[in-house]
Amino acid sequence: MIKSFFSIYRPSYFSTIIYMLQSSEYDIRKYLSWYWTTQDFSKVRIRGNLKKTSAAKMLLISVVFIALLEVLIGIYCVYLWKNNQLFAGWTFGLALILGYPIIIANLIIIPLFMARILLVSPSNNRKIIKSEKIFKDFKGEKIAIVGSYGKTSMKELLVSVLGDYKNIAFTPGNKNVAISHANFAFNLKGDEDILLIEYGEGAPKDVELFARITHPTRAIITGLAPAHLDKYKTLKAAGEDIFSVSNFLSENKVYVNQESGDTSSFLKPKFNLYNRSGIGSWKVSEIKNNLEGISFKMSNGKTTLKLASKLVGRHHIGALVLVASLALELGLSEDQVINGISNTKPYEHRMQPYQLNGATIIDDTYNGNIEGIKAGTELLSELDAKKKFYVTPGLVDQGKETKSVHEKMGELIAKSDADTVVLMKNSVTHFIETGLKKGVYDKKVIIEKNPLKFYKNLDQFVASGDVVLMQNDWPDQYK
Amino acid sequence: MSKTNVAVIFGSRSTEHDVSIITAVASIIKPLELSGEYNVIPVYIAKDGKWYSDDSLKDINLYSNGKFQDYLSKLKPISISFNSGLNIIKPGLKNKVVNIDVVFPATHGTHGEDGELMAICEMAGVAYVGCNVSASSIAMDKVSAKQIAASSGINIAKFIHFSKYEFSKDSAKFLKDIKNNLKLPLFVKPSHLGSSIGISRVTNFDELQNAIEVALHYDDKVLVEEGVNNLIEVTLPIIGNEELTPALLEQPMLHSEDFFDFETKYLQGGKKGKNKGSSGSQGYSIIPAKLPKDLYAKAESTGLAVYRAIGCTGIARVDMLIDTKANKVYFNEVNPLPGGLYSHNWNKAGINNIELVTRLIDLAVELHTTKKSIETVFSTNYLSQFK
Repeated sequence: MIKSFFSIYRPSYFSTIIYMLQSSEYDIRKYLSWYWTTQDFSKVRIRGNLKKTSAAKMLLISVVFIALLEVLIGIYCVYLWKNNQLFAGWTFGLALILGYPIIIANLIIIPLFMARILLVSPSNNRKIIKSEKIFKDFKGEKIAIVGSYGKTSMKELLVSVLGDYKNIAFTPGNKNVAISHANFAFNLKGDEDILLIEYGEGAPKDVELFARITHPTRAIITGLAPAHLDKYKTLKAAGEDIFSVSNFLSENKVYVNQESGDTSSFLKPKFNLYNRSGIGSWKVSEIKNNLEGISFKMSNGKTTLKLASKLVGRHHIGALVLVASLALELGLSEDQVINGISNTKPYEHRMQPYQLNGATIIDDTYNGNIEGIKAGTELLSELDAKKKFYVTPGLVDQGKETKSVHEKMGELIAKSDADTVVLMKNSVTHFIETGLKKGVYDKKVIIEKNPLKFYKNLDQFVASGDVVLMQNDWPDQYK
Repeated sequence: MSKTNVAVIFGSRSTEHDVSIITAVASIIKPLELSGEYNVIPVYIAKDGKWYSDDSLKDINLYSNGKFQDYLSKLKPISISFNSGLNIIKPGLKNKVVNIDVVFPATHGTHGEDGELMAICEMAGVAYVGCNVSASSIAMDKVSAKQIAASSGINIAKFIHFSKYEFSKDSAKFLKDIKNNLKLPLFVKPSHLGSSIGISRVTNFDELQNAIEVALHYDDKVLVEEGVNNLIEVTLPIIGNEELTPALLEQPMLHSEDFFDFETKYLQGGKKGKNKGSSGSQGYSIIPAKLPKDLYAKAESTGLAVYRAIGCTGIARVDMLIDTKANKVYFNEVNPLPGGLYSHNWNKAGINNIELVTRLIDLAVELHTTKKSIETVFSTNYLSQFK
């Protein structure tokens, strides 16, 4: 306790608060919430470290300088008080000398806040307004990819299949908010056939704004699950925002993942629904699924496509079916579609298998939603293995749904046939444990206090023939 | 509930001192700590025989950063006591006494693996991992181990043995005996050393005397053994007390003309010979060994028979030589503390590192409980006659 308190006086404290700002993407609200819930500042940097960008270096120098100034002022106040020149100067001086770490950590947000209000926001707004015309004038297909999860995977899937045959441009990485869309628009050459625009919703009306600016011609809704509920508050509110994209195009140009149960109340009659059974008149049969990938047949009347992908897990079939049918609609031949689908493979940290000590580790650490958990636990239950391990810290940003989502997660894990469940100790662990109990899980549960130690030494826990599924990972700011 | 105190004892006055450090720190202490079930106490025996215990000794970097001797010179040696079991006494303003529940010996070679450390544990009445005093001592003497195996009907290669004293008295007699009774190629081995230290392969009799002198430099007892034709060398790690679990037969080398000396095995990553091995802890073995099914089964049952004949408990590794044309399996030697506990092989067999060390501790406790139930003292009137 005392050691924790004195961690604010360690020299590393300065770089720690800059790291906290950086990890919060300079979001003042997130930073303050993290700061005021941290007890020991020597244990903040577990997964990462400060990236020494010029902004970070400048902030670091500033905080050290201001801290020194505060202490000097404090000493001067005490000096004045001692010479009867400042009433209660010792109180003020001592407060400055002892309280400088707390003062500096809170003071630093003022220039950030001012810079955002006065410089960044107006400049961004101008760019966003300008980009609207570029999108509006673009004559090719503009496919919006929307949803609580699976957006980046869907985008990468479309790129893999269409990329060799069409001139495609797509929003990079997870750059999926209005300013990223604007920057994307400014970099377009104008000769592209298709634009893939990922919509990264985070708060009410986000999707509506993205759609108004980007003028989509088609929209793929990958699913609805509790995410960003700290801002949306309810799943219904998140769904309303996500489905608002359909107001900007005709119903039959909207494609919705039917396997996401929560989407049902938002469906309209002419939406195209896709799932692992097919899409429209395309029907799926003869599914084979293992750690090498998935294969299946997709038939429509007399036409049958034999498709095989290196993606792992049945939950990918719906997305593959959609991409295949969309590719045909956009002019690709059947052979081109078969070839394109065969090029699809696991994306980094998303159901990505690799070998360790003869065991198969399925890295699904970028999975942050309950639908992904469901897909993972289903896969684990299906696989043959000497021993099965399921590893997770739980999910973040579940708002009021935190308890129910994690209890549901526990129940899903209980059905996964895991011999050992490893839970990274944090604020949601007991909810998952309750879920495990509800699911009558009676095998081994390990509560791991040091996630990094566990991940680094995973080779000690596994042997040949074992399968380990690791779902989601928590950044340092979550406890 | 307090955790079980496990003392991992390593180092010691042995030619395999450095190998022991790797076994202890990387293959025993690390997984034991990760299991979260034990309070692991490292006990290091320096080359001068002094005993030390400190948490820093769990860090492998300590031994390789070039400052180890400086560190050691600042550390005070510990002492041990046998009051109510085995206690480690750490010196300080007030001595700190730690009662040990289980000893995990991790010393290779002399003054440890040869049964000396197990004898200390027996005297203290503390549970310990691995083979007991007699099995360790037999296993560490290649001559005794072969004689016991042969008496149990297990095949061994033909050999002649002698002591340093015997050889110095009449070396010509032994050289003549060898020439008359054994066929080339021959292997000259110190009887008590492991990790292939001091072993030479002799392909003509002119090399013999020199090879014997090399072996006698390391040991006072030497055996000269006939090489096995059409050779495949295999090794089998085994764990268990009564019920035995074999790992997978491992084929440590690919060519009969090669054999692994200490440097090849531990310093060159096993990269010797025409073909480089593809798996194994040092990258020089094939797991499981590529053998016909019946020969594999024969070698496995020979390994288990040797383990029982010598009276091994806990863990041991049995090395065998196979004449593939004659379909004959020969016992070569037994190692009561396999380097790194052969975890690479156990991993292939489906047992992870944590499971391996925790199972070994369970076996030690099980054996200790059984031993405790056996009466070793009883009252007599013997002394009354001296009134």
